[in-house]
Amino acid sequence: MRKHLAVLLAAALFLSLAAVPASAAEGEKVLRLASESDILTMDVALTTDDYFIPHNVFDRLFEIKVQPDGSTDIVPSLVEDYSVSEDGLTYTFRLVEGVTFSNGNPLTAEDVKYTFERLLTVPGGCNYDIAQEVDGADALLNGETDDLAGITVNGDYELSVTLAAPNAGYIAELTSPAMSVVDKETCQSVAAFGMECADTIGSGPYVVSEWVPNDHFTLERNENYWGQVPDADRVIMSVVPDPNTQNLMFQSGELDIIDLDALDSSIIDSVYKTTYADSIVPGYRVGVTFMSMNENNEYLSDVNVRRAIQMSIDRQGLLDNFYGGDGIIENGMIATGVWGHNDDLTPIVYDPEGAKALLAEAGYEPGEISFEFSLDSSGGAATQMVYQQIAQDLAEVGIDAQIRSYDESAWLDFRRTEEMPAFVGTWTMDYNDPANILATFFSNSTSGRSLNYADQAVKDRVDAASAIIDDDERMAEYQAIEEAIVVEDAAVVPLYERAHLFCIGENVASFVPHWAGFSNFFVRDVEMK
Amino acid sequence: MSTLKSILRRVLSSIPVLIGVVLVIYLILRILPGNAILTMMGEHAREEVVAQLSAELGLDKPWYVQFWVYISGLFTGDMGTSIKYHKPVSELLAVYFPVTVKLSCLAALVAWVIGILCGAVSAMRKDKLADRLGMGFSLLGISVPVFMTAMVLQYLFAYKLKWFPLQGTKDGLASYVLPAIALGWSSAGSVARLTRSTLLEVMGADFIDTARSKGRSVSGAVAFHALRNALIPVVTVMAIQISSLLSGAVITETIFSLPGIGRLCIDAISGRDIPLLQGSVVFATVLVIAGNLVADCLYSVLDPRIGKES
Repeated sequence: MRKHLAVLLAAALFLSLAAVPASAAEGEKVLRLASESDILTMDVALTTDDYFIPHNVFDRLFEIKVQPDGSTDIVPSLVEDYSVSEDGLTYTFRLVEGVTFSNGNPLTAEDVKYTFERLLTVPGGCNYDIAQEVDGADALLNGETDDLAGITVNGDYELSVTLAAPNAGYIAELTSPAMSVVDKETCQSVAAFGMECADTIGSGPYVVSEWVPNDHFTLERNENYWGQVPDADRVIMSVVPDPNTQNLMFQSGELDIIDLDALDSSIIDSVYKTTYADSIVPGYRVGVTFMSMNENNEYLSDVNVRRAIQMSIDRQGLLDNFYGGDGIIENGMIATGVWGHNDDLTPIVYDPEGAKALLAEAGYEPGEISFEFSLDSSGGAATQMVYQQIAQDLAEVGIDAQIRSYDESAWLDFRRTEEMPAFVGTWTMDYNDPANILATFFSNSTSGRSLNYADQAVKDRVDAASAIIDDDERMAEYQAIEEAIVVEDAAVVPLYERAHLFCIGENVASFVPHWAGFSNFFVRDVEMK
Repeated sequence: MSTLKSILRRVLSSIPVLIGVVLVIYLILRILPGNAILTMMGEHAREEVVAQLSAELGLDKPWYVQFWVYISGLFTGDMGTSIKYHKPVSELLAVYFPVTVKLSCLAALVAWVIGILCGAVSAMRKDKLADRLGMGFSLLGISVPVFMTAMVLQYLFAYKLKWFPLQGTKDGLASYVLPAIALGWSSAGSVARLTRSTLLEVMGADFIDTARSKGRSVSGAVAFHALRNALIPVVTVMAIQISSLLSGAVITETIFSLPGIGRLCIDAISGRDIPLLQGSVVFATVLVIAGNLVADCLYSVLDPRIGKES
């Protein structure tokens, strides 16, 4: 009896191990991708990271289109046409008629209004910044009303959005994945929108057909899609946490596109830039990696110290040594590719001797300046080496930057206290407007960044700039603000904008990376063979 | 009957161990800096939203209240809700745990079968080539880190020879072969060395000479007489190895992209997801306790005197 039981148990174990899922149908175009981590939710209201589903399953009012020369344009998506009032406060949108969600429900102005309201009211919501600019948003946020007064629905396909204050960059903001339009009926009828595939209803080119946590998720073509039909019939995104495994998968033909971001630069140089040189598709993470310096710190409050730090760091050396030279040195915060980028900004020159002289002139003894240089250990090996090199560069001019490592949770917690002395951070643009970065770090509403930028006049200018209706005038003001922040106040050390390289396999004919270099790209921009 | 009583006694005595483990994990996570909600919501989290979510999840209550709520929930089968995944912990464990159990079972199979065989052959061929090869094999298993073994196996047998899949679980049994070998080899080494030394000791005993004088061959004497006696300390080591297999699973699961409890634990630690981590730890502790219980039962099978004594 015991023997029989053992045999039965063993058979059950092996049968459960041998379960094999269905393979691809004949002639089906399947795009196989890999991601280092799983998504936590498919609801964009609850995440500021997991944008693959929002990008490919939902649509927005406007999109950013990458031109063949690499430049970007904002183009209407769900919007047929629109107008802006003379005071720059009210936007009237006429929606494309005939758009349906994947469940067949028509996409109407009510859904758009509900999308804004939901961003402000959904429990645990963290993607509400853009919706919060609408007149009456604060009352809705505070629970004083259940209606967003600033949005008026003028019919099934027309609505007006009135902002609390003019913002000439608002159309650009509406391209953000946060503004993905959801189906009101579905959201109101399901318990947890974005947690089950069947409930994740959008109007985009794909639907989510399967999500096996920490293993993979699958997208299938949306048969009700209103736009141009994407080339890939099916998309399988496998969760492969080890970059080396992804590398082997690509080389053995199990992946059609590999994101080279997580791979060691030595592998990129020795394998991809040689064997697969013709298959590399370059893009940029449009944004900037920078060293942040807390102006509440005893030493970093002195502009001479901050300027000396700017002069001490060999930025080209960092890019060459740790990222294979794949990137662009940035002198400002409005990085290359961002609307309003200034090529003529006063450059930061690597001059350690000049930095030493500046510190001596300011009355500092070598070794006197000391601060903690806080590292988020989840940033990977290259980031750790960047920290070490910066600390070494600073040590050569007599500044003691003491690296202290935290795990991500502790690091975020510390930075939020506004007491983190210095760190290296990267900001990738959510939408293509300088306000995205300048307002985040240098406005009166900036908080939790441990920067404590002290120039009140500049912060007021940042707040006022968004109301300038004339685009040329607005960009000129942003450039002047950038000069004040980086050159006059030496508030940060802009380091570089990193390239974001992908490599395509034999099944892919062409691929256009996301305009800002997100790993969560648009699959509709992939053409299969 | 006495064996049954002994098992029951062990099960009851494991309850305070379980509570102790949960308390220690809980306190460690409380001491560590970091906030689950902030980590989950990232840079855009508003103070009011963080406060509201903290209240909803009971994170604003004193630690002892939270601990009591958790412990009393455990007895009713409620392991809490994952802060990060917004799902009941029991639901998540039901998805992830079978993968780790399959991996650990296969790794244990590799470790114990290969380890005992290797140890027995080495003992029988003491100081001969087979002994040297066996001990070399076991030394390699003990010395080489699991991640290195995993990467080499993956490169050779999955990438180069294409005998096994590179990663994932979609190929069923084949998906688990390389991870199980990578994970089990190190334990196989320890088992082999221990089996060899205890077997050599037992083989010098009088009852082996008696068996040989009755006409048993060397291998027969080892298989039917010596091995049974030599295995008692080996079984102890095998029971202890269950916990090391579980911890080693974290690395193999990452390299071979297996969605198991190891990766879930790492996620839970980095995200300060206390309910999820506690749930995983409780499960792992139960498994280790169960492993020790099985070992106890095996003792009495291998040597009936042990059961009678207890």
